[in-house]
Amino acid sequence: MNKNPIITVKELYKSYRKKDKNALNGISLEIESGEVFGLLGPNGAGKTTFFSILCGLLLPTSGEVIVNQLSLSQSMQQVKKIIGVVPQEIALYPTLSGKENLLFIGRMYGLSGKTLHNRVDELLTTFGFDENRNAAVKSYSGGMKRKINLIGGILHRPKILLLDEPTVGIDVHSRIAIMQFLKTFNREHETTIIYTSHHLEQAEQFCDQVAIINEGIVLTQDTPQALKQMHQCKDLEEVFISLTGKKITA
Amino acid sequence: MLRLYATFVKELQLLLKDKTGLTVLFIMPVMLVIIMTLIQNEVYKSLNETGIPVLLVNHDKGRLGTAIEDGFLQNAVCQLTVDHGETYTSTQAVQQKVLDGEFLVALVIPENASSILQEDVEGMMDAFLAGDTTISTTDIFQEIHFQIIVDPVARKSFVIAISSTLREMVSAVKTKVMFELISGKMNNLMGAERDIDIPDADFFIFDEVSAVASKGDTYVPNAVQHNVPAWAIFSIFFIVLPLAGSIISEKSTGVYMRMHTFPGNYLSILSGKLLTYILVAFAQFVMVILLGVYVMPAMGLPHLDVGHHLLAMFILTVAVAASAVSYGFLVGTVFDTPQQSAIFGGISVLIMSALGGIWVPLNIMPPLMQQIANLFPLNWALKGYYELFIKDGGWAEIQLQVLKLSLFFVLAVGLSYYFYRVKRKLD
Repeated sequence: MNKNPIITVKELYKSYRKKDKNALNGISLEIESGEVFGLLGPNGAGKTTFFSILCGLLLPTSGEVIVNQLSLSQSMQQVKKIIGVVPQEIALYPTLSGKENLLFIGRMYGLSGKTLHNRVDELLTTFGFDENRNAAVKSYSGGMKRKINLIGGILHRPKILLLDEPTVGIDVHSRIAIMQFLKTFNREHETTIIYTSHHLEQAEQFCDQVAIINEGIVLTQDTPQALKQMHQCKDLEEVFISLTGKKITA
Repeated sequence: MLRLYATFVKELQLLLKDKTGLTVLFIMPVMLVIIMTLIQNEVYKSLNETGIPVLLVNHDKGRLGTAIEDGFLQNAVCQLTVDHGETYTSTQAVQQKVLDGEFLVALVIPENASSILQEDVEGMMDAFLAGDTTISTTDIFQEIHFQIIVDPVARKSFVIAISSTLREMVSAVKTKVMFELISGKMNNLMGAERDIDIPDADFFIFDEVSAVASKGDTYVPNAVQHNVPAWAIFSIFFIVLPLAGSIISEKSTGVYMRMHTFPGNYLSILSGKLLTYILVAFAQFVMVILLGVYVMPAMGLPHLDVGHHLLAMFILTVAVAASAVSYGFLVGTVFDTPQQSAIFGGISVLIMSALGGIWVPLNIMPPLMQQIANLFPLNWALKGYYELFIKDGGWAEIQLQVLKLSLFFVLAVGLSYYFYRVKRKLD
């Protein structure tokens, strides 16, 4: 297993009221510091539940999560300070401008003054926002909203970045630009990125390590290359079919 | 502290961009206060300033009719119109004028009232001088029928008060006239010329002094003193609509989720929202008060007197604002859609204001309704402002109301937190 795990998950279970099946069925995995880790699986596999537990939105039914040597259940507030979250849903105030939204998020993470304003302006410029940074978010295109949503998660330069389907609903050009930026961000700041997606092709290019999850269980975990070799498949899509007998998009 | 500041700035930005919310919070109170005060001021004005419109139809040509007429002319409560039978020859004509609303009350003095009274007094004196041992005034005195015609839409208590005043006035005049007739008769019998100057006013003088020592006997309640605090409270409680709407829109978008990923307790984020809306409610109150003090007099309306205890007013207003905001939190936490919160929040504030004495003054409500009114925070707030503005009370007089409002705040925030926890557990 990994030598320097920043996240260790042991026997994680989660069940919801009024639902017979568990969302998570004893997930155990380790994520090494500084790597891009992909949690891949079809819709309903338990990715978002796992993601929600990691960022403190949900409490697990049982099991343990250690983040940066801190128990998540006992040190939630310290853990939240080093985590950046990019939710799948656009988590912005539609009537505020992109800049106003980011200034608010930055302040909530303890940034202020020139540091905050410079960082917001710098990231807005990087993502191609000019005058429209002061326009209301509701007037933005889907891709622009996604970009602001992403900047909100990296503004405070977190040690761990959680990305839940960050490129859903945007054009190929914007998607490539976002993934390239994230790769650079990962290298420059040694940020551990945990990325959930059902786009296996994109994950294969982006991730150092992937875990394939289905029905709340981790089926396998390794580098994309190692998984392909192990299952003698040409891509991760085939790996998934060989493990579950069905297509990931099914 | 930075998080509190961040939430405060964000909430202000959201409010400033919410045109509908701003209209509800700031334009509606101004409109309500001005419209309701203008409407009610006419009622107060007719009673306090120009007087009650009274028609006196005097068919009598003698001293009794003249004395009653003089009595009315000296009475400041009346806006008197005198007719000597030139215009109103019949009772029906007078009734019609009252029905038309031109006069609230009319008094008709019958023809020859003075001469009948004089005959009666002389008859009584003659019987007395003839040495009759038993003099029956019911046998001697003839009835003189005055007619009091009142507007049927006038309140019963008001009609009784007006009738009593008329009877009292006529009775006083009758006594004076009788005394003058008796003294004249005595002078004739004794061959003397003793002149007794009988004063118009009664010897028993009732001074009406206001219970409010510092305002003296010149204080007259007016529409501004009731409407300004009443509608200010109503508007402050209407903050429920934008506040609950803001909480629910956050819950229904990804923003709520992001909020829970920020470091620190979620309650500290809500505190920023709480502080912002308390300040907004305070700003609403200051705006309405300034309207009453400076703008209303310029519109020909009475000036708002805010009393002499500004610190007590500040504390009371903070308590009112905090209870309104806590109620908004509760509504925003319990309900899941903006439609639900808007309907429940709006209607509940309307009901609480109606039952709490905002729309209709408490003193004209039935006793049971007055008891029910005591249950609502809008009523506690109104009583507090009445103490400060009308009774010139201070901190000692509003302590109970501030305590009740503070307890309501604690209860509503506690319930909001409880429902928040319950709903999160259900996730």
